Amino acid sequence: MSAVTIEARKTTLGMSLPSQYALIGVLLIAPTLLIFALVIAYPLLEAIYLSFFSIYTPTLQGQWVGLENYRTMLSSQEFWKALGTNIVWTVGTLTLQVVFGIAMALLLNLNFYFRSLARSLVLFPYFVSTVVAVLVWRWMFNDTYGILNRAILASGLSDMPLDWLGSMPNAMISIILVGAWKYFPFVVIAVLARLQTIPSELYEAAHIDGAGPWSRFWDVTLPQLREVLIVIVLLRTIWDFKEFDLIYLLTGGGPVASTQTLPILVYKQAFGMNAMGKASTYAIGIMVVLLVFMVLYLYRTRRTKGGSP
Amino acid sequence: MTRPNYWKQPLVSLAVWAIVLIVIFPLIWMVITSVKPQTELFRIPATFWPTEITFEHYRTLLEKTAFLKYMRNSVIISTSTTILVITVAVLGAYSLTRFTYPGRERIAFLVLATYLLPSVVLVLPLYLMMVKVGIANSLFSLVVAYTTFALPYALWLLRSFMASMPEELEWAALVDGASRLGAFVDVVLPQAIPGIISTALFTFIVTWNEYFYALILVNTDEARPLTTGVITMLVTSFNIEWSLLMAAAVAMSLPLIIIFVFLQGYLVRGFAGTGVKG
Repeated sequence: MSAVTIEARKTTLGMSLPSQYALIGVLLIAPTLLIFALVIAYPLLEAIYLSFFSIYTPTLQGQWVGLENYRTMLSSQEFWKALGTNIVWTVGTLTLQVVFGIAMALLLNLNFYFRSLARSLVLFPYFVSTVVAVLVWRWMFNDTYGILNRAILASGLSDMPLDWLGSMPNAMISIILVGAWKYFPFVVIAVLARLQTIPSELYEAAHIDGAGPWSRFWDVTLPQLREVLIVIVLLRTIWDFKEFDLIYLLTGGGPVASTQTLPILVYKQAFGMNAMGKASTYAIGIMVVLLVFMVLYLYRTRRTKGGSP
Repeated sequence: MTRPNYWKQPLVSLAVWAIVLIVIFPLIWMVITSVKPQTELFRIPATFWPTEITFEHYRTLLEKTAFLKYMRNSVIISTSTTILVITVAVLGAYSLTRFTYPGRERIAFLVLATYLLPSVVLVLPLYLMMVKVGIANSLFSLVVAYTTFALPYALWLLRSFMASMPEELEWAALVDGASRLGAFVDVVLPQAIPGIISTALFTFIVTWNEYFYALILVNTDEARPLTTGVITMLVTSFNIEWSLLMAAAVAMSLPLIIIFVFLQGYLVRGFAGTGVKG
């Protein structure tokens, strides 16, 4: 049936289809809304509520303390230090992810043998569990038997094995590197998809104008990648900032508290110090920081898609 | 650039592949370590390739540890979450893309917002809720917890898949007298299958890999999935057996490897839908 006759019949049906079926539409979204209300909206409100209580984790008994938790949080050195650590980690690992990601995407966009195999192999770090990634890296970081230290000793770069995770600034550098390794494929995929849609005329024009590879990258490629890079940076900022698994499993926040980011602090408050109310306050603190990036991302998606995100 | 250069492609290939191999070296090293005899790990000077290949670590893993139990738990949790989430999300995404009713756009917006919500905010109230309802420390508690991030994720992916499907066929079926739900089953679902498979694979992988909720909500071997289970094995053994752990790391990545080998196209397609292309 051609589109024209369908359009004609649509009108003869009298009612526009959407309003006729609105009830079915609502019924179909109902299970989603129910689940959202029970396991997302309610816990979210509860998280805010809990942050006004002092709760002892083992018994879950608590009492209302009002804004006391917030006052303690904002005046504690621990919070500000963790926030600082969190920013160092996020900026460090995100920068490397973006730089490596763009570089790798440019390479994978070249013509070479077994290109599609190479493209899928590079995605592997992103898809393996953080637990797997951490186990492998901890084995490679091992003091005496890890391959990194063995390589350092064998090559004569140093005659002492490096303490990758147990001292500073090594521990911070190590988690930033592992984070970059784990998450840069996300940037690769997004950038690679965008690279393939850049019209080749742009490069030809640049070539005729006598632009070398370097200026073609800065003047043609990068401006074309701008939009996708903004989205990548917003999403990855949110995801890197709230990272728990990778840091907790690599260093546990140590040495002492030098890699202790806010999510790790939440965990330690709730289950180490048994202060669940205070932990909730920290969690809300994280959300407030991330809200800025969430709003930016939502605003952006909404705008680019003309009203519907 | 215009004159043909027969050396260019081989040279580029060599260079790019060298870099690709460096990137995935940790994973190669994981596999190599898992088939080396324990004694060889500590040999000086070190050997790169195993002088002899052994599968004893895999046997130890299966026979002498709780690995299989964790694996069973992971399979149950990830499969149930995926089935639940995909069922609800397919209906929800269909509703969000093909029906008009008040508040629809607001709901779509809400889905995206929850997709960005950090789990560290929800974990403590969820923990309290599980204890109160009496399902703490169970497989079910993790299915519930994983739904909090898997459902918004799946809804978002499916919504963009369905939005890109042409509506004409559905119209045609309706005009020919099919009921709305009849058209959904006969026309929409078959069209949506690739998107559904993609989303299901992503959901399975993110739940299979999840660690944070499992760490907080479950502390019994009866309900522990592979992620926290394998780490428990690492922490409890006084003498860390690296070859055993590498075998565990390889074994727990098995579903992922299978998906990569056989269903890779769906993963790439799924990525296009995650909203990265903005």
